[in-house]
Amino acid sequence: MVDGMNRRRFLKVLGVTGGGAAVVAGCGIGPEPTEHLIPYLVQSEDEVPGVPTFYASTCRECAAGCGILVKTREGRAIKIEGNPASPINAGRLCARGQASLQGLYNPDRLTDPFAKDASGKLGKITWEDALGRLTGKVKDAKGKGIVFITGLEASSFGDLVDEWMKHVGGRHVTYEPFAFEALREGNRMAFGTAAIPSYDFASAKYILSFGADFMETWLSPVAFQHGFSSAHGFQSGRDAQMAKFVAVSPRMSLEGLNADEWIGVIPGSEGLLALAMAYVIQKSGGAPGDAGRLSDLLNRHRPALVADATGVDAQTIERLAKEFGGAKGGLAVAGGMAAQYPNGAEIVAAVNILNYVAGNVGKTVKFGAELAHGQAGSYRELTGLMADMTAGTVAVLITHGANPAYSVSGFTAAAGKVPFRVAFATMLDETASEADLVLPDLHPLEQWGDSRPRAGIFALQQPAMQPVQSNARGAGDVVASLAGKTGSFKDYVQGRWRAPKGQTWADAVQHGGSFGEAPSTSTRLGADAGKIFAGAPATAALAGGKEEYPVIVYPHYALYDGRGANKPWLQELPHPVSKIMWQSWVELHPDTAAKWAVENGDYLLIKTASGSTARVTVWVTPSIRPGVLGIPTGQGHATYGRYAEGRDVNAFDLLPAAANSYGGRTFTVMASVEVTRDHRYLATLEGDPREGGESIIELLTLGKAASLHAGQHPFEEQEVPTYTDSAEAGWAAAQREKTELGNYVTRPTRWAMAIDLSKCTGCSACVTACYAENNIATVGEELTRRRRFLPWMRIERYFNKSESGSVRAVTTPMLCQQCADAPCEPVCPVFAAYHTPDGLNGQVYNRCVGTRYCANNCPYKVRFFNWFNYAERGGDHEAWPTPLDWQLNPDVTVREKGVMEKCTFCVQRIRFAEHNARVEDRALKDGDIVPACAQGCPSDAIVFGDLNDPHSRVHALSEDPRGYHVLQDLNTKPGITYLARVIAGAEA
Amino acid sequence: MTMHGGSRAALALVLLIGATQALAAQAAPRYQAPQVTDTARLKGPRQPIFFRHDIHAGQDQIPCMYCHYTVKVSTEPGIPSLQTCMGCHQLISGSTPPHQAEIAKVRKAWSDKQPPEWIRVHTLPGFVHFPHMRHIKALGDNACATCHGDIAHTTQVAQVQTLRMGWCIRCHVEKKVTRDCTVCHY
Amino acid sequence: MAQTAAPGTSGARVTYDYVTRVINNTLGNPSKGYFALLGVAVGLLTIGIICLLFILRYGLGLAGYSHPVYWAVFITCFVFWVGIAHSGTLISAILFLFRSAWRTAVYRVAEAMTVFAVMTAGLFPLIHIGRQWYFYWLVPYPNERGLWPNFKSPLIWDEFAIGTYFTVSTVFLIMGLIPDIAAVRDLATGWRKKLYALTSLGWRGTNEQWRHYSRGYLYLAGLATPLVLSVHSVVSWDFAMAQVPAWHETIFAPYFVAGAIYSGVAMVISLLVPIRKLFHLEEVVTISHFENLAKLCLLTGMIVGFAYATEYFIAWYSGPTPENKAFWYRAFGPFWWAGWTMNVCNWFLPWILWFKKVRTNLTALFVISIFVNIGMWFERFVIIAIHLAGEPFEPFVKAGYNPTWADWGIMAGSFGWFFMWFLLFVKNFPAVSISEVKEVLPPPVRHGKGAHA
Repeated sequence: MVDGMNRRRFLKVLGVTGGGAAVVAGCGIGPEPTEHLIPYLVQSEDEVPGVPTFYASTCRECAAGCGILVKTREGRAIKIEGNPASPINAGRLCARGQASLQGLYNPDRLTDPFAKDASGKLGKITWEDALGRLTGKVKDAKGKGIVFITGLEASSFGDLVDEWMKHVGGRHVTYEPFAFEALREGNRMAFGTAAIPSYDFASAKYILSFGADFMETWLSPVAFQHGFSSAHGFQSGRDAQMAKFVAVSPRMSLEGLNADEWIGVIPGSEGLLALAMAYVIQKSGGAPGDAGRLSDLLNRHRPALVADATGVDAQTIERLAKEFGGAKGGLAVAGGMAAQYPNGAEIVAAVNILNYVAGNVGKTVKFGAELAHGQAGSYRELTGLMADMTAGTVAVLITHGANPAYSVSGFTAAAGKVPFRVAFATMLDETASEADLVLPDLHPLEQWGDSRPRAGIFALQQPAMQPVQSNARGAGDVVASLAGKTGSFKDYVQGRWRAPKGQTWADAVQHGGSFGEAPSTSTRLGADAGKIFAGAPATAALAGGKEEYPVIVYPHYALYDGRGANKPWLQELPHPVSKIMWQSWVELHPDTAAKWAVENGDYLLIKTASGSTARVTVWVTPSIRPGVLGIPTGQGHATYGRYAEGRDVNAFDLLPAAANSYGGRTFTVMASVEVTRDHRYLATLEGDPREGGESIIELLTLGKAASLHAGQHPFEEQEVPTYTDSAEAGWAAAQREKTELGNYVTRPTRWAMAIDLSKCTGCSACVTACYAENNIATVGEELTRRRRFLPWMRIERYFNKSESGSVRAVTTPMLCQQCADAPCEPVCPVFAAYHTPDGLNGQVYNRCVGTRYCANNCPYKVRFFNWFNYAERGGDHEAWPTPLDWQLNPDVTVREKGVMEKCTFCVQRIRFAEHNARVEDRALKDGDIVPACAQGCPSDAIVFGDLNDPHSRVHALSEDPRGYHVLQDLNTKPGITYLARVIAGAEA
Repeated sequence: MTMHGGSRAALALVLLIGATQALAAQAAPRYQAPQVTDTARLKGPRQPIFFRHDIHAGQDQIPCMYCHYTVKVSTEPGIPSLQTCMGCHQLISGSTPPHQAEIAKVRKAWSDKQPPEWIRVHTLPGFVHFPHMRHIKALGDNACATCHGDIAHTTQVAQVQTLRMGWCIRCHVEKKVTRDCTVCHY
Repeated sequence: MAQTAAPGTSGARVTYDYVTRVINNTLGNPSKGYFALLGVAVGLLTIGIICLLFILRYGLGLAGYSHPVYWAVFITCFVFWVGIAHSGTLISAILFLFRSAWRTAVYRVAEAMTVFAVMTAGLFPLIHIGRQWYFYWLVPYPNERGLWPNFKSPLIWDEFAIGTYFTVSTVFLIMGLIPDIAAVRDLATGWRKKLYALTSLGWRGTNEQWRHYSRGYLYLAGLATPLVLSVHSVVSWDFAMAQVPAWHETIFAPYFVAGAIYSGVAMVISLLVPIRKLFHLEEVVTISHFENLAKLCLLTGMIVGFAYATEYFIAWYSGPTPENKAFWYRAFGPFWWAGWTMNVCNWFLPWILWFKKVRTNLTALFVISIFVNIGMWFERFVIIAIHLAGEPFEPFVKAGYNPTWADWGIMAGSFGWFFMWFLLFVKNFPAVSISEVKEVLPPPVRHGKGAHA
């Protein structure tokens, strides 16, 4: 790939920031007086300067094992995109996957091995020394208890660790803060198997989620969202249809935003609801024969009996049950919050029963093609380990890819009893900072590896570039040598890889692995399925004292269990639900807020029975049940790099230390609340929360949408004086003339986009993709609070009441609309904003003087200003401290202070495609150009193309009856056509 | 295997050069690169290695794209890797002492794995994107001279054109090709 | 035509000689008080310059801007000062054409104010742009890149409007000064004599010169008159041409011109009251002058009030439109206080000028004029910053706005800059026109028998 020279070159070249006039450029041609060009020693053959090279690999940000393509330029990884060959994510990628680059280039990465000296401070040592100490300690500790903690590793690394531990008589504990114990236990209860099946969202006809945040962090979010949006997205045509989606949970997560109906049940009662529905379905017949065994269980849970406990009236339960049963091939999933109550396992079991009664098991719930998450260790294992450590029966503790010191409050104390602690880490996180020996690991993008996320899939991970930290070593290689393996970890991986016939190692690596399908096995009802909910009413488990409220601690969409907190892209990514950046918050229903007389930004002091407290700022929202509080995890790091340290609260601290009945961790606690009088501004993207998004987002009922036929345009209501038409015709002609100049596009184009709101979930993967592609600066918490952020693409989220008064959320991406009659263009005094012949609103950064008139005149407010020089070396607001700047896209100018910037439909990608087309003497084809946002979108909601090409997808979609333009009565003639969101159900 | 591919092509090239030199007698008088004694009065920056385009491209008639081989497919022409140099200079060690001295530097750099740090001559500001391949495509393989001057007969490379926007525009106007801003500025 | 009760003078005590002496006395060696004032002005200016240096180094982020409030205090000040600049030409040119004699005593101050106000206003567009060092790209000049400014952009119109206005008003001021400078030249000594000798361009007051002079002055007045209307119309189009609700209004041109003259006259009063006191010009600048100014204030104030009323009416009358939302926001939104400050100061307060008692009470006039100035500043602030903050098209980016030390610093600097020039002027050049005041005096008769009865 690259030799050391390149890194030096890029350092130098990227050292060039815009002095005076010049706008800084990623591609390094800058105003430096004498600039040096350092040639390759040996140039690798797949390496053409100026042309990106893609390396297939596997994302290791979570256990889902999505396939990725790492885009490299001149030997540097500059962007990560989904690998179309991967059956998991089919070329899509979530925000966290995109952001793994900032883990690779993080300025606070560990550079060398460190060891604690006598005074307990970490000091640099050599690798030889480090490995010497480690082997020594391990030899001494043989038999005295050696423990290796890793994250969930369904991979060769995991196997290697097992081997080594077996060899030295230690044990391998895998720890994931969110480990799905309830899911496994619930499956065991209902089906007698602790495996985690694969859920087929794509072919589900009716989707019911009991708390499962399957588009955020649950199991395999990208895959699930991809499937979900293809099922839930509106299919027009002769049998127009979509799968209805009902979200059942006390708080709206990203799933709640997309629900056609949100049922805000009482926490802990989800299981009762499921059983009641199962009862109704069984009554109406059509349940499998052996479901009869359940009848007395179900009889105890008739809708009427559970109505009070769940807070959902019987009629609603009846209706939902009939819809679900009638759908024939629906899918109910339980997870997330619902699987983290003390009775989580039972809830999962109940939902399994619902699936079984409705006959979905084997159809949409497939055992056989099981997910790797089943192999994760349980929280009980960790608490057990902590007990051993406290008892002093552990001599050596090695950690890799897990940070229990952050997520388990008691861990540090327990680990303190261990004489020798070793940490493989890329960053000095809480666990590593406590270790006696810290070994700098390579980032997954720098080393070999693999992942087996699902039975039948062997996903490979290859280094996409030379190590950023030249003195770091891959944990795989280190462990391999410790385990006495001859050869590198790569050889080990290759050795474990079993070739499907006809595939060589080379093309396995080239395509990102070997992808097969495991046959699904049939599953019957387990023996003691009927025994669940025998004891006390479910919610009793959550009953607290007087003036105590249930606090739901849930995984943050972007920061997850805290591992994302060191990445500015994720910190500055507005949370899909709350739209808050860089901060923690507690969700509070307006009624509750009114009762306590608090409003947005007021601090609450939350006290649990166990005495742990948290000071969190309030975010008032209708998206949570009254009397319930919700806090995301992820912030509150003591140490984890400059972007994570000392931000607000670590929600894990609120949680009880002990494992619960099913060996999992309870993420819901009862807590008393104290209103403090302190206040701060929320760092939020949201402007005026009272607004409902009228004129921005259009809705249709399924019935209405289905009745629409081609040629109808229900949203066309603009009254434009006829004289404008002739004016525009002439203007268009002039533009066309310009395009023929030199004919750099083969035909006068009108670049345009279509966004299908019935598919868009608001997951915000596009936002991070845009940041990565377009060198958008992250500005930090203070400037975010002062609304200085620059999200070219933002996801707007409004709450509005449906006719029946139930809360519904609507979301839409908002980006430059590339208007044909753009208000921003005529007002620019220097033609920095102008209309390009191929139909874009050009923004010429180096011409802009920064009058900001364009931003005032843009009704969509999608233009952003560089208030400071975010590229300034060592500046107060430096966005890319080295080596973060290595990620900068060489094809996009890094903007200087004082210039306006905005989305240009990834004009650099358009030009790149045009260049190639011209060099190959061919015309541009539809699909040659894919902007970053469309490329990453997990739900295919965004389509880009040429409106003037009658055969392009975007042209077809822009004719769709659901199509509308935002603020179309301003006659800006936007290039973006939105397709109205369709609500399955009686009302929109 | 890059090595082999590289050097095989290089060998062929060396033979070709040899042949042309042999034929030189009856062939039309070929360009002879001057003997340079006083390098101080040459225009342009002094490079770490006194590489002479006039000898390589002029006298030996090596096509520009033998070394700058990505210029037809990429926005960047590419700086030849040291391996490319060595492809020939494993065998060719120069005729005159000064030449031998320079070639010795190349071989040293190769053995030390310390590529020379060339001083950049042609520079554009970062907000300008100049696609080389499009210009070669439009103007032909020998169009390099349009912007870089008659390199083939230049002893030491110096900037001969202003490379300022006005200069670009002038040509785009003459050739009646696009003058849209976002073709170069984005 | 009896000239005894000539406006601008009180009785026979005021003679040609008296006028010359009184006004000459305003020159000469400055007092401590004067230096104190000048010190304050320069101090403010220094603060402004320091803030500007910070902004140049670190960027406009130091000011209080937010998304979507992209224009705020700086543009507010720009419009404010351009407005101030208006009464000058109005009083000197238009009233001159109307031959309204009372202008003679006040027009010099007004004109000086105009020139300095334009000088101040002109700075703000340069300060507020993001890359100040490229301000010249806004100027059309031939260049090898073949790039020109966008003549469709109202900002470019501005540039020309302001430029023209500055040139003309400066010429006008200097021209009016010539005979007076000559007059004080004859009394002055030392370096002042040299200065005046130079600047009076060899004026000797011959009939010849007077004939050309008055012709030229007349033509210039004719030339300047349309500018009074054009400049602020163009400035108003910066907003009217945009489609921000509460900017995009056909009423803006007349509304802004009226407002400009309103604020200008108010400023003249605020300046003239203290000057009259300090320089003992009671005899020359009399109550009747102030009353006339007050009447002008009342008139323009009522026009402005009417414009406000029209805006609210149209917003209400047009039903549930963005316009409607915008004005609801102005009146009852988070920035209601700004909206109401502007209404009270510009709309309601001036009505007490209906009473002659008030019009002839200098203290009252002074206070009111200050309020009007505050009100007019807030008018621009509300229109610009507040309506951007509450822009109803895109509810998701509606946001607050808080000015910072940088905004206030630069604004203070602009006042310092203005008053520095003004103070220097009044001390070195006749602040009241000697020649024109004399025009309205009874000509002196030999054997001192007083004026004809």
